[in-house]
Amino acid sequence: MAVDQLSSTFAALADPTRRAILARLASGEATVTELAAPFEMSLPAVSKHLKVLERAGLIARGRSAQWRPCRLVPAQLRDANEWLETYRQFWDESFDRLDEHLRELRQQEEDEDADDE
Amino acid sequence: MPTMSETTRELTITRLFDAPRELVFRCWTEPDQLAKWFGPTGFVAPSVTANAVAGGAWRICIRDTDGVEHWASGVYVEVVAPERLVFSFRWDAEDERQELEDTLVTIAFADRDGKTEMTFHQSGFVSDPSRDGHVAGWRESFDDLAAHLGGERS
Repeated sequence: MAVDQLSSTFAALADPTRRAILARLASGEATVTELAAPFEMSLPAVSKHLKVLERAGLIARGRSAQWRPCRLVPAQLRDANEWLETYRQFWDESFDRLDEHLRELRQQEEDEDADDE
Repeated sequence: MPTMSETTRELTITRLFDAPRELVFRCWTEPDQLAKWFGPTGFVAPSVTANAVAGGAWRICIRDTDGVEHWASGVYVEVVAPERLVFSFRWDAEDERQELEDTLVTIAFADRDGKTEMTFHQSGFVSDPSRDGHVAGWRESFDDLAAHLGGERS
């Protein structure tokens, strides 16, 4: 996936209010009013946060003009995980090779010790 | 099911190697040794330079079976033989549109009766301190979210 999409995902996540909104949406759809309730924040301020989350593809808004309920879109977070999985696989396989290489190094040492005797 | 550290773009891998930590540490810091294991299965490392002192640079090329090369490089931040190694890590851009970021790798080597327990940690956002401050916060807020994703996957 494109790295700049990942950047916008993580930038959207780098805010405690937006993370709290996502955590709330993890338990189900909610309207802007419902999402704003726990915060000492104006509705426009909450709307601004929702726009950032929507642009990052982390949430989607309903089409109904009156309610426009928000819901979580997990795909972007999965992509963020895939980014990490790539690294994990890179290192896991490298460490398998390191393990094998260390075995060979130790075997060489033993052989040299045996030759010395 | 992803763990919290995965959703926060941090990676920790712990491995036990049946070798003394002096030897494991050398495998991480000497170019000849790095060339023998660095890279996934099937890759070779035809070029390795490593000046393993604080402030020194490292650079590695790995090549896959199709001959495609990938370069990675960084700078050593801490080199304490045989117990601790910290360096920056970034892939070279292979496409001008790519926005690649620096990551920080921290490795601790602990002696376990002649074997070595290696704790490898990699985190992102080295080049953006404003995001670094938020990393710890993500863990706390994301329990619900991770549970939710896990539920959707299963």
